[in-house]
Amino acid sequence: MGVLIDNLTLFLKAIGGFITPWALFHMAWSTLLGIIIGALPGLTATMGVALITTLTYKLHPDLAILVLICVYVGAIYGGSRTAILLNIPGTPANAATTLDGFPLAKQGLAGRAMGVATSGSVLGSIIGMFFLATLAPLLGNYALKFQSYEFFWLAIFGIVISGHLTSLDDPIKGWIAGFLGLMTAMVGQEGIHAYERFTYETTQLMGGFALIPAMVGAFGLAEVLSVMRNPPAEMAKNPQDSVIPRLADIMKYKRTIVRSGLIGTVIGIIPGVGEDIGAWVSYAAARRKSKEREKFGKGSIEGLMAAETGNNAVVPGAIIPVLTLAIPGSAPAAVLLAAMFIHGIRPGPMIMVESPLFVYQVVAMVFFATIAILIYGIALTKPLLKILAIPRTRLMPVVFVLCVIGSYAITSRVFDVWVMLGFGIFGYILREMKYPMAPLVLGIILGDLLDKNMRRGLVLTDGDITPFFTRPICIVLWMITLISILMTIEPVRRALQRLFQILSAR
Amino acid sequence: MKKADYLTGLALILLSVYVLAESWRMPRMEHLQAHPLSVPGIVPAFLASVLLIFGLILVGRSVKAGGHRLGLSREGIRKVLSDPGNLRLLLTAVLTFVYAGVLVGHTPYSLSTGLFIFVFVAVFEWRRGMSSREWTRVGLAAAVLAIVVAAAVSYAFERLFLVTLP
Repeated sequence: MGVLIDNLTLFLKAIGGFITPWALFHMAWSTLLGIIIGALPGLTATMGVALITTLTYKLHPDLAILVLICVYVGAIYGGSRTAILLNIPGTPANAATTLDGFPLAKQGLAGRAMGVATSGSVLGSIIGMFFLATLAPLLGNYALKFQSYEFFWLAIFGIVISGHLTSLDDPIKGWIAGFLGLMTAMVGQEGIHAYERFTYETTQLMGGFALIPAMVGAFGLAEVLSVMRNPPAEMAKNPQDSVIPRLADIMKYKRTIVRSGLIGTVIGIIPGVGEDIGAWVSYAAARRKSKEREKFGKGSIEGLMAAETGNNAVVPGAIIPVLTLAIPGSAPAAVLLAAMFIHGIRPGPMIMVESPLFVYQVVAMVFFATIAILIYGIALTKPLLKILAIPRTRLMPVVFVLCVIGSYAITSRVFDVWVMLGFGIFGYILREMKYPMAPLVLGIILGDLLDKNMRRGLVLTDGDITPFFTRPICIVLWMITLISILMTIEPVRRALQRLFQILSAR
Repeated sequence: MKKADYLTGLALILLSVYVLAESWRMPRMEHLQAHPLSVPGIVPAFLASVLLIFGLILVGRSVKAGGHRLGLSREGIRKVLSDPGNLRLLLTAVLTFVYAGVLVGHTPYSLSTGLFIFVFVAVFEWRRGMSSREWTRVGLAAAVLAIVVAAAVSYAFERLFLVTLP
């Protein structure tokens, strides 16, 4: 009980800290910008958070992270507008939203669909926020038990699960992307003997590839190339009905909301999986459990609610491993993690010891961003439609200019502009060949963790690999990893399914 | 996709073999009496081994599906190049590369940025058979956007964020 009161006190203190005109001003513009970024086809949440990171260097760390979280929450919500009105997901997270959002708009219910998306997004964020506040401190304390062996498996587990879930049709492509990311992280001075690997005596490569230029390239330039290649989208319909969320919709689908919120949070916690998977899994679960299954895909309020609750619940969920393990739960969370490092914040297992208030400050940031999307969701429909009408031929060059200056501004090196260009072209080619980007990004982040902990673990045991397989947390991690790999081999999958059936029958 | 998988598989095999060779050549740190399992090459070699397996699987799988028969023909290449989407892609790649890779760092930032935006908008909004009035409207819009963005970005980064522009 005492712990609960302590935590509540910290949360209220964090909330109070942000009720200042300056913080509210940053909250207002950044959430609005996030919604616009999310709504514009071709601008994703990851690209938005990466580009805005470059604008926050001079801000106080708390305000900088507040801005980035508001952009993140806003972008995931903003994408629903485009999904409903244009049948194009504003961000990949809103792909499932198109299935029922657009049919509703075609039936003349665009306003109601947007109201459902607003209520789903707000409630999803609140459910995720609740778990962020309760699970992050617990996981933070638990993570203190992690040693090299556990961190090694956590890196492998993250890559394998992220690779599998982001490339369900062909998991090997997800794994290749993840291992290419890990390999990318091998470039530069390594952390044990300070030996320069794959630098070819170039001083620019000594520190390895900087994460922000790489992400700006992989998500910014690659997206610019992709948008310019595809034919332009048709313009939106103007909603005639009310966009105000209805309490009746919330009450009717409360079970779906809670289930989707839980699914979204759990998917968020899994390293490198992200909002799109959160929405799809929530949507599939809602369809399986629904009494109105036949309406799904034809304009189901329940389907739309599930997708939008699921994707927004991923956001706080994805921040949980960022804070407690310094491992991102999604691609935008990876940029958020990089931004925390840039601003001198050290997330990881020590966070609850060193700065417990920061965890609750992040919860408060999600809280304020959620309130902001609710206000904007109700008040800003028509002006947003005007922004959606900006032609891509005028938007994309501006986005690219920001990609260039954003990559350069971190360390004032033209070399980082080249890194952005290289990763942009590489990312575009991989994307065209159906390789997911999230495991690649996760790999770049986890590379150093894997490198240090694999070698440290082997040195500690003098080459004995037994502890890697026998420690309790390791057992769980390697078993899930192994099952995930085995499940992709058809005969093994069938045999495992039969085995589970026999075991459950007994 | 099977042809792309075949080529990707081959590229992965080449990359993995190269990384394995490089990892083997990395110092063993014996003069520092370092533990043999802490040497810098061990993790890249581990990663390269995994990627080698993936590369072999990709190649094996695509060969089985006939992906190794690339069947490149002049006609096929012409078809790819004449596709409007691919042309837009190529044009975007050239413009972005010239701006970021050539102009930035070698010409004044505001000038190169303004020029890039103007050319990008003008090139992509140009249509065959445009009247001079339409053309003036596009040119004017491109010029206004170029001046506003170049000035705003330069001001924001140089004066507000105190970054020395490239």
